[in-house]
Amino acid sequence: MDLNFSGAVISQAIASGIMLGGLFALISIGLTLIWGVMKIINFAQGEFLMVGLYLAYFLVAWGHIDPYITILVTVPFMFFFGIGIFRVTISPILKDPVMNQIMLTLGVSLILQNLALVIFSADVMSVRTRYSTWNFDIGPVVISVPQLIALFGSVICTVAVWYYLKTTDSGRAIRASAQNPTAATLMGIDVPRTYLLAFGLGSATLGLAGSLMIPFYYTSPTVGLFLGLIMFIVVVLGGMGNLMGCFVGGLVIGLAETVGAAVFPGSLARVFTFAIFIIFLLFRPQGILSRRQT
Amino acid sequence: MLEVRGLTRRFGGLVAVNDLSFELNEGEIVGLIGPNGSGKTTTFSMLSGALRPSAGSITFNGERIDGLKANRVCHKGLARTFQVVQPFPDITACENVMIGAFANTGSGRAAEKVAREKLAQVGLSPKADTLAKELTLLQLKRLEIAKALATDPKLLLLDEVAAGLTPTEVDVVLDLVNQLHAEGITFIIVEHVMRFVMNLSHRCIVIDFGSLIAEGTPEEVLNNPAVHAAYLGEEASIA
Amino acid sequence: MNARMPYIGILVVGALMCLLPLVLSTYYLHIAILVLIWAFLACAWNILGGYAGQHSLGNGLYMGIGAYTVAYLTNRFDLTPWLGLLVAIVLSAAAAAFIGWIVFRYALKGAYFALVTIALAEAAVYVVSNIPALGGAGGIQLEYRGNSLAYMQFAGKNGYFFMGVIMLVFILLLTQWYRGKRFFYQLIAVRENEDAAEALGVDTVKAKIKANVMSGVLCAVGGVFYVQYFLYVGPRSVFGEIVSVQILIYAIVGGLGTTWGPVVGAVLLVPLSEIARAQLGNSFQGAHLLLYGAVMVLTMLFMPFGIVGAFQRLRQRWQHRSATPLVDSQGGEAS
Repeated sequence: MDLNFSGAVISQAIASGIMLGGLFALISIGLTLIWGVMKIINFAQGEFLMVGLYLAYFLVAWGHIDPYITILVTVPFMFFFGIGIFRVTISPILKDPVMNQIMLTLGVSLILQNLALVIFSADVMSVRTRYSTWNFDIGPVVISVPQLIALFGSVICTVAVWYYLKTTDSGRAIRASAQNPTAATLMGIDVPRTYLLAFGLGSATLGLAGSLMIPFYYTSPTVGLFLGLIMFIVVVLGGMGNLMGCFVGGLVIGLAETVGAAVFPGSLARVFTFAIFIIFLLFRPQGILSRRQT
Repeated sequence: MLEVRGLTRRFGGLVAVNDLSFELNEGEIVGLIGPNGSGKTTTFSMLSGALRPSAGSITFNGERIDGLKANRVCHKGLARTFQVVQPFPDITACENVMIGAFANTGSGRAAEKVAREKLAQVGLSPKADTLAKELTLLQLKRLEIAKALATDPKLLLLDEVAAGLTPTEVDVVLDLVNQLHAEGITFIIVEHVMRFVMNLSHRCIVIDFGSLIAEGTPEEVLNNPAVHAAYLGEEASIA
Repeated sequence: MNARMPYIGILVVGALMCLLPLVLSTYYLHIAILVLIWAFLACAWNILGGYAGQHSLGNGLYMGIGAYTVAYLTNRFDLTPWLGLLVAIVLSAAAAAFIGWIVFRYALKGAYFALVTIALAEAAVYVVSNIPALGGAGGIQLEYRGNSLAYMQFAGKNGYFFMGVIMLVFILLLTQWYRGKRFFYQLIAVRENEDAAEALGVDTVKAKIKANVMSGVLCAVGGVFYVQYFLYVGPRSVFGEIVSVQILIYAIVGGLGTTWGPVVGAVLLVPLSEIARAQLGNSFQGAHLLLYGAVMVLTMLFMPFGIVGAFQRLRQRWQHRSATPLVDSQGGEAS
């Protein structure tokens, strides 16, 4: 094992890890919302992100639109996309056993993945924007600007969603429906519509993520496989429905990935991440911060 | 037969069962009563092994059973029914009971024989091959008892078995319990339906807020002022 | 006599299948062999997933253990795969017991259980990719030895086909035999209502571990056959999520917790996917997985008990009295 513990390498790993972590947190907000609120385990969440990425990609590559402007399109699109999928596939089986939902969303993920394969081919697509190579140095550490923007976007999105759930009427309706659907219904809340809203919101965050990611990430039909799994890892670490935990969890996994890559050779680093995941599943499935936020 | 000493269960800051002690002799029917939330089901759960006591001891036929898992307790001869019936929905009544019978035998044929016997005992033979999810509440309650019976228990804990039943249906279950008792099973009954408890119990134990507040024959307990105070503001159904 | 019927049925179907090589061309025989492999694996999954209700999404792990063990031992030590098979069985049993013990002791259920199995299978991909002795990312290639029973290889398809039939008949007989036994009843109890099962004396943790071992060992055996037929095994081809998901699609679409369900699922879907792959493969890569996804969604929406399950329910409704004990499919989860 080739250990390279120079200060520069470690500092870079930490800096990259934080930014990667911010990204991981951003993509996981939707899942923690959906899983925490509706107890729906959406195995197609990774593929939703894929859709967001493809959309952002085409808007930038073909439409020559600034990636950060595409947010105005990707967010609403993903919102309605999510609602559409929910309406057609998930809401009919909300009352069915959890495993049915898992299988169904697995099926949806297969469909989305392979539709992308069929339509766009297996090619990995990425686009250079004027932001893509923009970076600056802090000492020995190189910071990529689009990644930094994504980190900020993650923080802002987390705070925004948290604020929305805490203060607005519809946000509180979502939280009420999450805690006790029956009581919520009795209090006049349209619970099915709330679920729809929450699912749409969770999907919309992936539109934001796609736009923020496209300057430095790629898209392909299989991009949702690994990132989807990361989402689940982050959400379990952070606790379902726990936004703050989601952010912390994202950071932990981001750091695990980069520090792991610095320490372990080759793709073995990833096993480190999975090991953390498995340990949490076994010993602390409620997450790092076990107090529920939403 | 059963000796409970200092049984306590805490859930965080809440003390659900507080230093409960009582004894049970073979062949008795003991009623465990008390207002809602007084810790009756929690006590049952600890006796049957579904919950671990925070403190105290449970001795069954000379053996300490506190802390044992539910399936081990069942093998010792202590079975329970659940307040909210817990059938296995997608299999037939007979198969439901067979699961219990398998506690004592490894053979499918023997288990089926025992199962059909117990079903006959509780009066469910005509429904033996119906899926459990298609049974009525009374039938499910009977099934619940049959399942527990199939494990060949010496002590059977009945948790609010009369709840939700019409008076006629309560009578049916009453007769069943008497019959089973005559065949040698000892019972502890948790109940709110007073008529059930009064008619069956030799002895009553009253708990409130997890502590023992009275013990004695049904008449003694009913006239006990402390018991009245515990139930004050609450109407126990004198059905 | 009635009790013997299912066994006879299995043997009859098995015998009839043996006639297929007479009528099928090589290409279709290849598809038939694929059907046999996947049906076998789906039946293995069914034990843990259908009967015990623990939906594992990572059975590829054990399949991979089987395949890699035999491939490695054959290449490195020139060991006959028949002995390699025994080693694979022991290894997979140990792995399944260990993993099962950890996972079920900590009472991982439902989604958490599914996630842990995915994580384990994915981790296996990365671990194996980094072990040069196991061929790294490139996998292991087995040398072609023509017709060699000692090395479990056959020149034509027929040998593999008959081996596959024997394996499938074996697992069907095994499943059918266990259905009347205490073990399977206890698994069903665990599936339907774990707390009630515990209260009735079922050691649910032990039962789940046993099911995991049984399922894992059988998957490993399937993996051995896989590598002997394809003469190749790579990390993604066995450990990947796609493989594990495929196995359970056949079982679920066919009918969870039924003897024939996984077979029906495989018989229907595997040829369809092969044809899709052949006809559209060049222009539409992934068409067959698209098909699987659509089938899965439709099944969950309209026929969650699978084909055999739906059939059994219909038959049940036609008889006023639900005659035959039906031990199939999903019951509601307690929480």
